[in-house]
Amino acid sequence: VVVEDQPDVSAVLSAYNQQGDPTLYEEYYSGLKHFIECSLDCHRAELSQLFYPLFVHMYLELVYNQHESEAKSFFERFHGDQECYYQDDLRVLSSLTKKEHMKGNETMLDFRTSKFVLRISRDSYQLLKRHLQEKQNNQIWNIVQEHLYIDIFDGMPRSKQQIDAMVGSLAGEAKREANKSKVFFGLLKEPEFDVPLDDEDEEGENEEGKPKKKKPKKDSAGSKSKKQDPNAPPQNRIPLPELKDSDKLDKIMNVKEAARRVRLGPDCLPSICFYTFLNAYQGLTAVDITDDSSMIVGGFADSTVRVWSVTPKKLRSVKAAADLSLIDKESDDVLERIMDEKTASELKILYGHSGPVYGTSFSPDRNYLLSCSEDGTVRLWSLQTFTCLVGYKGHNYPVWDTQFSPYGYYFVSGGHDRVARLWATDHYQPLRIFAGHLADVTCTRFHPNSNYVATGSADRTVRLWDVLNGNCVRIFTGHKGPVHSLAFSPNGRFLATGATDGRVLLWDIGHGLMVGELKGHSDTIYALRFSRDGEILASGSMDNTVRLWDAVKAFEDLETDDFTTATGHINLPENSQDLLLGTYMTKSTPVVHLHFTRRNLLLAAGAYSSQ
Amino acid sequence: MEPAKMASPKSAPKDAQVMAQILKDMGITEYEPRVINQMLEFAYRYVTTILEDAKVYSSHAKKSSVDADDVRLAIQCRTDQSFTSPPPRDFLLDIARQKNQTPLPLIKPYSGPRLPPDRYCLTAPNYRLKSLQKKVSSSAGRITVPRLSVGAVSSRPSTPTLGTPSAQAVSVSAKVGTPVSLTGQRFTVQIPSSQTTVKAATPTTPTVQNVLINPSLIGPKNILITTNMVSSQNTSGESNPLKRKHEDDDDYDNL
Repeated sequence: VVVEDQPDVSAVLSAYNQQGDPTLYEEYYSGLKHFIECSLDCHRAELSQLFYPLFVHMYLELVYNQHESEAKSFFERFHGDQECYYQDDLRVLSSLTKKEHMKGNETMLDFRTSKFVLRISRDSYQLLKRHLQEKQNNQIWNIVQEHLYIDIFDGMPRSKQQIDAMVGSLAGEAKREANKSKVFFGLLKEPEFDVPLDDEDEEGENEEGKPKKKKPKKDSAGSKSKKQDPNAPPQNRIPLPELKDSDKLDKIMNVKEAARRVRLGPDCLPSICFYTFLNAYQGLTAVDITDDSSMIVGGFADSTVRVWSVTPKKLRSVKAAADLSLIDKESDDVLERIMDEKTASELKILYGHSGPVYGTSFSPDRNYLLSCSEDGTVRLWSLQTFTCLVGYKGHNYPVWDTQFSPYGYYFVSGGHDRVARLWATDHYQPLRIFAGHLADVTCTRFHPNSNYVATGSADRTVRLWDVLNGNCVRIFTGHKGPVHSLAFSPNGRFLATGATDGRVLLWDIGHGLMVGELKGHSDTIYALRFSRDGEILASGSMDNTVRLWDAVKAFEDLETDDFTTATGHINLPENSQDLLLGTYMTKSTPVVHLHFTRRNLLLAAGAYSSQ
Repeated sequence: MEPAKMASPKSAPKDAQVMAQILKDMGITEYEPRVINQMLEFAYRYVTTILEDAKVYSSHAKKSSVDADDVRLAIQCRTDQSFTSPPPRDFLLDIARQKNQTPLPLIKPYSGPRLPPDRYCLTAPNYRLKSLQKKVSSSAGRITVPRLSVGAVSSRPSTPTLGTPSAQAVSVSAKVGTPVSLTGQRFTVQIPSSQTTVKAATPTTPTVQNVLINPSLIGPKNILITTNMVSSQNTSGESNPLKRKHEDDDDYDNL
């Protein structure tokens, strides 16, 4: 594919052909400002949304047409009026003073090509339109039509508080139609096992959840109904690897542990066990813990990946080929015999990357480890030989996050090139490319049913992508800073997101709405995790605290609301304080990772920083 | 690392003060003090490079002095070369559309570890032991080879004539293509002279047998280490068969 850079750029920038007399821009803007400030209270909040995009577009137009002094005085006069959460963008904008500066800035270019979306009620819109179509304000009307997309909804105009909760992203809000497609957020049917008897030929019931059975078997503590959940994807919607014997054994262990699981709630909070990385002068940048909490991996800024065993059982690698041929393959403990006792150690260091390691992920079967780095590659390591197996090259820029699918085989990675890629371990090229974000993809997570991928980005939006066809099925706006953590609830219906603005936002995936806002943290939230049954949401942040929130209560009030409204927003109650169950402070250790064990003990990890 | 205190403005040179002001204007408040030095170095190096390029372009255009156009051209060329940015959005959307059209491939059941074809993996050995003479029992590509031989010979002042007891010629070619799964191990291949057979036909007598194979982890160099030495290259002779010679390291340059 031939990329024609220069023609594209000038085509984009030519959208800034002269719109009226440059010296009058200040007049136009202040005229609009005066009109909006004099309008009725109920409309003012909504119409104030226009200030920021108009300001930016008018400024950039002046710069493009090389009216430097007018641009400078325009900026000086009006940049202080903008909302506080746009200050970072405005600072970047202030450094763009010449036309040449604009050509090099990808983010600003994307800002131009994608229309800024505003959601305004019909009444406010009529008011605005009537005013702008009067003769002297025609210029602003032209700019509005050209660079803004106004998504009109029928309903009450929104209050300032409601608007503030949902704006903040680089491209405005999300159009209502972007969040209307059907999403299969239900879980896939798990194969059933008769736990005491270790009966293993039950996959026949797994197919499509049909009630046909060959022989009657006892139900385990799994699904009770054999009917297909209408919100769950069909079993074969995407190809998934079949269960191996070791996977089945693991699942049986899981069920056994689940029976011993602590039921959490507001009056039964989890115990928190914190793993502090001491003397991590190498710079701890990523942490992951296996599902059964047996191993912990740390990715460091010195490009090493270190794996520790959390249990007393040490890490061993398999024997060399010559020795393997000597062991008795039929013995019961063959899996023990293939391990080389001489290599037993608590720590294994993996070398291979040539840049800081920003993301790590264990495979569900604990055989593989993924790590992604600033050198643009994602590496697959074997946890049986502790060597690197594959380097997946595709992003040519730093890769910020990676994660294995809950069923293994697939993994997703997101990086500086603004796309997330879906890979399979046996393909050296990605299977899907999720393109659409305006800035770096900083966080990638699979949905529990492995059919969807959520990505958080530096453009302050969170998008949900369909693995089957690569389409973006949901766009969630509302964060005021880059999104750094995502967590799906175990039932697959809700998504929690955390960003540098210190807020945790809760989203209903099926309806595509923001359903909760948890305020409390004062710094970036790097870790979010739901407990095993979804009763508690734990969040860990750079402000050295772990906070526990009542997830059941946060989501239960929704049952009564009628949010199939086309307005696209519901009234968010101010209940952060009610939902906060506990705040746990560490001694100057930012929290980088959170993990609930199978019995609902909360593990947390971070590197001690001595400031 | 803790953010150290910044140098007092009184003692810092003017350039450093300007740089500190720039950082403040861009909203960066916490930084280590050496960041200013680093930024100044970068600025100096960048401007020098641009001006040098501009001088070249101006002399190519047979102009008497450097003007703004030359500088503009120099900036543009350097930007395309050194500061690449990610692809533009429409290009990404285009390739995404192409890639997302193909259906997800079916998964073959019961196929063991699911890895890409060996060519794309890092599981292959990154060196190969190649023997020139049939008597050498070492097989190619095994780690166990170095363990076979014992003892070392040093170089002898031998002439390329018949009759000189020559040690075996082992040519080791180590190809370091992709980073390997082996951790950095040093293999010392020591070929004893006692196992030699007089191969009268060979004009070159290999003398130095200490070969260090160091499969490097990083760097795609092709290292071909051979012990086929022209005798004239050997300097001092030593009759002690067990003494190692450090001139062996020169051998790496002889291919």
